[in-house]
Amino acid sequence: MSFAQSLLENVLRVAEEKGAKKVKRVVVEIGTLLMLNPEQLTFCYEVVSKGTIAENSELNIVEIKPKIRCSVCGKEFDAPFAICDCGGVVTVEGGKDAVIRKIEMEV
Amino acid sequence: MHKIEADVQLSLLEENRKYAGENREFLREHGVVAFNLMGATGSGKTMLIEKTADLVSDKLKIGAILGDVAGDDDFKRVTKHGVKAKMVNTGKECHLDAHFIHHAVEEFADVDVLFMENVGNLVCPVDFDLGEDYRVVVVSVTEGDDVIRKHPEIFRLADAILINKISLADAVGCDVDIMLRDARRLNAKAPVIKMDLKNDIGVENWLEWFFDAVERAKKYKSV
Ligand SMILES: Nc1nc2c(ncn2[C@@H]2O[C@H](COP(=O)(O)OP(=O)(O)OP(=O)(O)O)[C@@H](O)[C@H]2O)c(=O)[nH]1
Ligand SMILES: [Mg+2]
Ligand SMILES: [Zn+2]
Repeated sequence: MSFAQSLLENVLRVAEEKGAKKVKRVVVEIGTLLMLNPEQLTFCYEVVSKGTIAENSELNIVEIKPKIRCSVCGKEFDAPFAICDCGGVVTVEGGKDAVIRKIEMEV
Repeated sequence: MHKIEADVQLSLLEENRKYAGENREFLREHGVVAFNLMGATGSGKTMLIEKTADLVSDKLKIGAILGDVAGDDDFKRVTKHGVKAKMVNTGKECHLDAHFIHHAVEEFADVDVLFMENVGNLVCPVDFDLGEDYRVVVVSVTEGDDVIRKHPEIFRLADAILINKISLADAVGCDVDIMLRDARRLNAKAPVIKMDLKNDIGVENWLEWFFDAVERAKKYKSV
């Protein structure tokens, strides 16, 4: 719920800066390691945006996958874990942020 | 009316990052070493504070910020052990965040160690840096031996993993070795400590890591 709330607050702030009357569509990138369920986020966004100029706006969620790779042999993995079969340390990059990329409005 | 598009780059975690940075700076200035205690409801977070306070209070002044959905039970408990405590009721929120505890942190300039007991769950607290030096996850055998595998992120990012209530493992049919193996698979750096806070098992291993962690952190703080 706190992500939906923060999403709405950021959207409304931009909308106000631009003098928008209505928010039509929002594109947000969500790192998959945040383990946020897109349906749940969409639902929560619908709930918190009720009664605001973002009510009924479309929410497009783009999932961003982390790069999970062995620092020694370079092998890539789908899910994070610590040590590769080769003994190398596996590094995890990205997949932990949630970023608004686009806001479509009517002015 | 016409349509406009704003291309932006606004992180939803930015505000938390900012306050976490301020908390971290405040704690650094005052030489306070902070531990973010995470774990499911009932895993033993408060008991860890109580036990640690009993064993180190001759050397270190302990503080605790207690995040709870409601009630002041944990506050009353730790206060009895000489811990300077502050309760923050989170209401519906399922985790502490850096902004939420910002003012509370400022009341702890005079302690050596600050425990931040997070809200009891293994999912939501993980993405909210509070400004701590260390992240400690307390998990108990009663949560089932697959609990670590089911919550990889919190264990992957932990600085110490405590497997608590091991005396109950047989009774609840929990294979502690599975938990150990899963923890290791996700996190090669954090110590994984088997303990039972109620029966004083493993407490010395925890204290060894704890004192070492406090010493290491003190080195990069001004006091
Ligand atoms: N048998 C056994 N019981 C324990 C152990 N550690 C804690 N308990 C009990 O488990 C219960 C919960 O412990 P707490 O320390 O309150 O757990 P918590 O993680 O702070 O729980 P919340 O604040 O509700 O999230 C208490 O009744 C403790 O006495 C242990 O090692 N063994
Ligand atoms: Mg507690
Ligand atoms: Zn490798």
